[in-house]
Amino acid sequence: MNIPYLFPNRFKKIGWILFIPAAILGIYILKSGEVPAFFETSVLAFIHESFINSDSELISNYYFEVIENNILDEILVIITIIGALFIAFSKEKHEDEYINKIRLNSLVWATYVNYSILIISTIFVYNATYFWVMLLNMFTILIIFIVRFNWQLIKLKKEASYEE
Amino acid sequence: MKNSIKVERAKKNLTQADLAKLVNVSRQTINSMELGKYVPSTVLALRLASIFETDIESIFTLEESDWK
Repeated sequence: MNIPYLFPNRFKKIGWILFIPAAILGIYILKSGEVPAFFETSVLAFIHESFINSDSELISNYYFEVIENNILDEILVIITIIGALFIAFSKEKHEDEYINKIRLNSLVWATYVNYSILIISTIFVYNATYFWVMLLNMFTILIIFIVRFNWQLIKLKKEASYEE
Repeated sequence: MKNSIKVERAKKNLTQADLAKLVNVSRQTINSMELGKYVPSTVLALRLASIFETDIESIFTLEESDWK
């Protein structure tokens, strides 16, 4: 069965190779706040906010300006997301219509769980901690999906091994 | 929906793995269909019928619950 919107099976391994180091390094940087100056560079910001002048407390938005930024966190976010997408949406070794159905069910389930967590966090988490919730929420839908889908596949294989 | 895949498979003397290969799905999918956990698409049902050299109605039968 040919499903056009899935990556070939080998992308799953590539996904893990991208995802694990990027996620670990990303968490380390978040926790420690250490970012090597090597990644300091000029970037084009479609929008950014900054103080109007050095001693002012007024913050204003600026559009389409070149600014200085440490791009390590940007690189890690992109690698983590691409890795997770490859893991989540690569074909199984033996892809068929039942696995495709399980994939769809898992995706709906993951979406519900993800937004349930977000709603609960919105009600009970405030201020800077809520920012962390939003940050992690960038990845949770894919992570929840990967866990759910693979768990369902393991369950399926276990069931099938009893029969014949 | 009830099906007689297991019976038809026995008639042809095929294992789940053999049948899976013939209709191009995984063995788990054959198993899930036999257990009634998965209702195949029309295309897969027709492929099964073709392998068993019979018509779809003699493999799959509707149950009361399928009308709800």
